[in-house]
Amino acid sequence: MAASLHRENSLVRLFRWIYAGVDRTIFMGLKFTFPTRFVSPLGFLGMLTFVLFIILGISGALLMLWYEPILDRAWDSVENINDTIPYGFHLRNIHYHASNAMVMMAILHMYYQYFSGRYKIRNEILWVTGILIGVLTILEAFTGYDIIFSERAELAISIAASLTNSIPILGPDMRDAFFGSGFHDFVLRFYAFHVFLLPIALIGLMTVHFPRFLVFDVPMVMAITGAIMITGGVFPVDMGLKFDPNVPPGITVPEWYLTGLYAFLRSQYDKFVTGVAWPGLFIFTLLIIPFIDKYKKFSWKDRPLVTAIGITSIAQIVVTTYWGFYIDPDRTKSLLDRLVIDPIFLYTVMIALVPLSFGFTYLMIKLAKNAEANAKRQPRKKESVITLPEKWVYFVFIALIGFQIYLNIAAYYALLNGMKNISLFIIGIIMLVFAGMFHIYRHGRSMANNPPPPAIPQTDRIKAIQRSKRSLAESINDKPELTTTSSANPSVGHIKNNGILNKVFKGGRKNKDPYKKMWSRD
Amino acid sequence: MSGQPQAKGSDKISRRDFLKLLAAAGTVLTFTPFVDWGKFLPNPSGSTTDKSKVALPDGSQANVKTFKVNHSEAIIYPISDDPVLNKEAFRTWQFIRLPSELGGEKNEASAFRAYSMVCLHLWCLWKYWPGEGRKRGECPCHGSMYDPATGQAFAGPAALQSPPSNVLPMLDLEVDKDGYLWILPPNWNVNGNGIVGYGRFIA
Repeated sequence: MAASLHRENSLVRLFRWIYAGVDRTIFMGLKFTFPTRFVSPLGFLGMLTFVLFIILGISGALLMLWYEPILDRAWDSVENINDTIPYGFHLRNIHYHASNAMVMMAILHMYYQYFSGRYKIRNEILWVTGILIGVLTILEAFTGYDIIFSERAELAISIAASLTNSIPILGPDMRDAFFGSGFHDFVLRFYAFHVFLLPIALIGLMTVHFPRFLVFDVPMVMAITGAIMITGGVFPVDMGLKFDPNVPPGITVPEWYLTGLYAFLRSQYDKFVTGVAWPGLFIFTLLIIPFIDKYKKFSWKDRPLVTAIGITSIAQIVVTTYWGFYIDPDRTKSLLDRLVIDPIFLYTVMIALVPLSFGFTYLMIKLAKNAEANAKRQPRKKESVITLPEKWVYFVFIALIGFQIYLNIAAYYALLNGMKNISLFIIGIIMLVFAGMFHIYRHGRSMANNPPPPAIPQTDRIKAIQRSKRSLAESINDKPELTTTSSANPSVGHIKNNGILNKVFKGGRKNKDPYKKMWSRD
Repeated sequence: MSGQPQAKGSDKISRRDFLKLLAAAGTVLTFTPFVDWGKFLPNPSGSTTDKSKVALPDGSQANVKTFKVNHSEAIIYPISDDPVLNKEAFRTWQFIRLPSELGGEKNEASAFRAYSMVCLHLWCLWKYWPGEGRKRGECPCHGSMYDPATGQAFAGPAALQSPPSNVLPMLDLEVDKDGYLWILPPNWNVNGNGIVGYGRFIA
């Protein structure tokens, strides 16, 4: 039984053959790392963004089977997906929440690289392509929520069209090129952009953007997948109202990644300046930042001006994002009064945020440097490690498998009863449990490689020493035999395999394994 | 590797292998829910568990007392709220009252037939020709001819196709006490009502 997991069967040989053939492909230039223990996801946020892109690709491709990019059918086909098609609700919610997660992950990824100065050391091309990918990602998300063609989508398209139109000289032609004329063209063109042109551009940029060293952390990927499903289960995305040109639309706000821009638009200042020039300036600043950042060091603490600019941008984004969402709830006022943001107030706040952010940055750097100096003076603390005894690894693992079985039944039962969101929620939990399982599996494997020091009771100590001396003597005699028997025929090295031998010859298990009982009950 | 045998003989398993088996079980269980997601692919709109009216093009329900002998109409099944789907060739059926020599005079379901109008050869739309000497279904494209009593092709390229692709899919009909005609819930299977555009086995 044990041997079957090691034997060279035809399937293993096929995989080896494929792996050898991959040698001729571009993938051998990439170095994949699968972490063997928990590592901070901050370092591989880009990989997580890419995983979300793949999830979006798969769920989106499936949604394409049912979505109809036709003016009077678009909204109805989405309703059909949501309400009628089996698992359409699930896929639509995964697609929607994964899109939000991807935008969020891309932003976090960018700011992490920004503050840790990773765009230096010849990473400028990675940074510039990354910014372009970020812009296209937002356009991709924007076109995505427009092709539902609900009331909100129609408003978003009309705003986007008027902004494009406001660009001097080229604007009207660009509007014709991207939007066509009329609602019918909008829906069809945005669909073409959403499912083909933008993704192709994204993939093209990604091939340039991918660094050669990649980290793929299975538990983190599964945890994010689970989190998306759970969010979909708790906050299922609604349909909105079908757009009808004869009905005055209600108040809607765009998706959260565009409310910052929406706040500026609501100040009723010139369209080109607020809607095109400001975001353009923001993107341009990000593009050139590696070339104007002349600090020799990487840490945010050593690059005060760049850090302050970054903090300012975050402050302004947070404030305007909230502001864009906020609509005066007083219904007695006119619609215009509720929507319009006083430009003087808005711009004053934006300017006031600059010195505030600079001061905050200065304070943070002072505090961080102080803490650093203090930490140096004190003796280094021992790294805190969570240790789960090996026996408990198996107990927890088996308990989790039992939980998985229960969840599988529960998810299916929820679906049979028409509770789609609960089924999606439970499948999300299954993903999370898998993340936990994989983590424990990793822990168990690393324990097998480096077992903790044996817990020998004091009274047995002398006996143990004697025993280890004896087995050491044995092991020296049996040295050649052991090396050959380890995997081919474990039964031969049965008794000898058990003790200090492994420590001596293979760097493996130590004497007196505290969990030996569990395995040899004879 | 560092095998810790459980029992004597060959039935042993190392703890690392046990861990691997647990991980494999966990992986299988994690992806089990997605097996059922395959239901996303087929279109469920064609299957219904209710019987539905035989709706004639003028909007009325077909009745054995008023529908003429040796006469046919094109009907839509399953009927949808969507006008585009209702124009779908795969949803058009030829509703025939057989000529009197085939038992069309009887005021019961056996006097009626409903065949898919999609020709089994190359998916043109055939129709029933009631004229004397014809009284058969004819396809305008390559001249396949269908027997109105059974739906079997007896001439033309469709007749040369091997079963089940030489017999038209057929809907089961029912007459209520007022004489109105109903379509029974179909079983889209070559051994049941058949597969539109592919065919049906004659029992």
